[in-house]
Amino acid sequence: MPADRQSRIRGVCLVASFAVAFVGSAVAQTREPGAPQAIAAPHYGDTLFNFYQDKTFVAITGLMVSQHFGRISPHDDEAEVLRGGMLLSYGLHDEAAAVFARLIESNTAPAVRDRAWYFLAQARHRRGLHTAAEAALARIASPLPGTLEEDRQLLRAQLMMQRGDYTAAAAVLEALQSDPKAAPYAGLYARFNLGVALVKSGEVEKGHALLDAVGKTPAPNEELRSLRDRANVALGFATLAAKQPREARLALERVRLNGPQSNKALLGFGWAAAELKDPALALVPWTELAGRGAAGGADAAVLEARIAVPYAMAELRAYNSALQGYQRATDGFDREHTALSESIAAVRAGKLVQGLHSSNPAGGATALGSTLGIRALPEMPHAAHLSPLLAGHVFQEAFKNLRDLQFLDGNLKDWRDSLGTFTDMLDNRRRAFAEKLPAVQNSRTHADAAALKLRRDALAAELAEADTRGDTVAFANPREQDLLDRMGRALGTLARVGNEVDLAEAGERLRRVAGALTWQRAQELPVRRWEARKSLKAADVALTEAAEREAALARAQRDEPARHAAFAARITALSQRLDGLAPRVAALSTEQQAQLQDIAVAELQAQQERLADYAAQARLAIAQIHDSAQFARRDTAPAGGAR
Amino acid sequence: MPMRFVSFLALSWALLAALLSALVLALPAAAADAVPLAAPAAATPPAASAQSAASAASGASPGAPAEAASAPAALDARVQQLKADVIRLNRDLLVLEEELLYPAGTQVALFVSMDVGKLFELESVQIKLDDKLVATHLYTPLEVQALHRGGVQRVYVGNLRAGKHQVTAFFTGRGPYERDYKRGTTVEFEKGVDPRYIELRIKDAQVRLQPEFEVKVWQ
Repeated sequence: MPADRQSRIRGVCLVASFAVAFVGSAVAQTREPGAPQAIAAPHYGDTLFNFYQDKTFVAITGLMVSQHFGRISPHDDEAEVLRGGMLLSYGLHDEAAAVFARLIESNTAPAVRDRAWYFLAQARHRRGLHTAAEAALARIASPLPGTLEEDRQLLRAQLMMQRGDYTAAAAVLEALQSDPKAAPYAGLYARFNLGVALVKSGEVEKGHALLDAVGKTPAPNEELRSLRDRANVALGFATLAAKQPREARLALERVRLNGPQSNKALLGFGWAAAELKDPALALVPWTELAGRGAAGGADAAVLEARIAVPYAMAELRAYNSALQGYQRATDGFDREHTALSESIAAVRAGKLVQGLHSSNPAGGATALGSTLGIRALPEMPHAAHLSPLLAGHVFQEAFKNLRDLQFLDGNLKDWRDSLGTFTDMLDNRRRAFAEKLPAVQNSRTHADAAALKLRRDALAAELAEADTRGDTVAFANPREQDLLDRMGRALGTLARVGNEVDLAEAGERLRRVAGALTWQRAQELPVRRWEARKSLKAADVALTEAAEREAALARAQRDEPARHAAFAARITALSQRLDGLAPRVAALSTEQQAQLQDIAVAELQAQQERLADYAAQARLAIAQIHDSAQFARRDTAPAGGAR
Repeated sequence: MPMRFVSFLALSWALLAALLSALVLALPAAAADAVPLAAPAAATPPAASAQSAASAASGASPGAPAEAASAPAALDARVQQLKADVIRLNRDLLVLEEELLYPAGTQVALFVSMDVGKLFELESVQIKLDDKLVATHLYTPLEVQALHRGGVQRVYVGNLRAGKHQVTAFFTGRGPYERDYKRGTTVEFEKGVDPRYIELRIKDAQVRLQPEFEVKVWQ
């Protein structure tokens, strides 16, 4: 796995692990590490949902939108730290530093401030402000949670190495190593860094000891095995330079035979044997090495082995074999030089970038800052020439930037389409509003509502009066009302014909019926009074709703045109911003692509120069062998001259 | 020793010294780039710079790396600035989109979260609002993992008029002993003039060793 991809993935892991730890500590219901934490705002949880899937662009923009609408509370501080961490992982150091600085200045909890100081230190470190980074680290008041404390110590050690205080850095790393809570391989990279730094600064013994320790560390995974190999190669060459070939061989023997460092190790192993004046022993690793890289793209170690082998043969006085070896080497170098020229032409024609995109599609991970690096060589002639370059940090970062720029280009294009759609939607709404408005204004809704209100008030007054008087007739139902009407008519008839006919019995019956009806109404009065009041209340609720809707309608009539205009203005302003960004994306993409090509061409030209050097050496050696053969023949020629 | 071999050896040692210097010269770049991160799996590999420096050792002049570094750094700074501008633009565009398509007065959003241990493996969710299907989702392993870690998925956002409404949700998945599960829940809620957020939580019912729904209507 390319180192910088590891670096980016670790960056995301760092922020993720931090986010989980941080979320947990800020909420009361903290569970065991790694378990889901209680989220008190669903939109903040949505941010985490995207973030945990490495959809960092969606997470960060979604978070900013939720912060705009104020729906993150009570996770405001955590959200800011998460946002700063995500910005940092994108390389937006300035933005991240601003976020953390604001957090520190505001009245946040001490635990939040400590974390913000740590991330601010990281941001400053990445910007090259090492002194300021140390100052930020010094402001952390308490140990950080989880693995963050380890990271803090590692950063401390790194900053100490930066200013040349290797003793202090070593002390920090020793303390970390002996900390039972630290991860088993914590600080291994830092110790490697320190070892190389000590060798460079002249503290050779200490440097060798550290590299030796790293080179002997058990490695349970490929990443650590690769680091161990690097340490052994560095130690091997350092001891070789110090004229300690036996120690060099011991270190280089520990390097894996098939790995990223194996070529360098084989070369050094051979040179150590040569230093011990044993060219036959040197031939073994060099012959193995010379046979590698047959498909082209041989690295510097393989190229050197191709002339080291004939050199060793010459040392063993096998001059014919040496001559043939040198000849083969020069022929191979010439072919390689031609192949490199073809590669340079292909790179300049844009085939490299094209090929990289085809063979390394971003696929679903098209989000900004994707951790997917270069996983496969591009389809182009002699692509193997570029494999050391493609694995390097500078090229990987440049390619990542190019990919990010392509993502931004696609993002802006999508938004351009969306803005067009929004404009159409807004136009439709305006038209619909303009069409419906006259009908609404001419409708009798308002008048109806007012009339209903009046009727309601009249009914309420009637009810109150009937309630006060205990008027059961007012609460009579239609059947009773009908009976009352019939009784009234019957009484009227009795009154008219009472003198002419004896209707005493009828009158008595009528009196009893009226009494029964009155009794019945009196019994039903409480229930009917309650039902009438309830109905009136329901009518009140409906009238209130109607009034609210009417008010909303009035507001809409008044505000909607202004709202449409405000939206239109915002769409216009955002379109202008978008139009301003698009050319910048295009220009930077072109520049970034050119830079990628320049980096590749520079590397290939450096390889050509290396080849030229080796070829010159081989030709010189061939000439010297021929010269010495000629001298030998002259020496063995008969002593007499021409006769 | 014959002259020819001395000169070759001398040059070879020069090449070797260059290779060695490149290895140790990797330190400043390595120390500058390496960011100590969490745990062994997160530690920074500064030796990557050692490799690239070493591979360029044999021909690179000491001055070249410093000059070459400034141009990429300047371009990188401009790319970062552009990224920041685009992120801010995206925020403003998303805010506009939400206010235009889902105004606060009518907005309703549905969320799915999980609080399960090993009892349930979520496969899909189907949600209806007032008997109308509004959301279905098939879960990838990455999404399920994100939910397990505490993420909350916004599965639907739409518009509803004020008043009473009903949401019905079904989830399917695998429960204990690899049994297929399908569970549903219905809840009525009142929509007012403010946005309404409803969270459907899938929880373990440890007593019955089965997953179950819990619905939270956020105020």
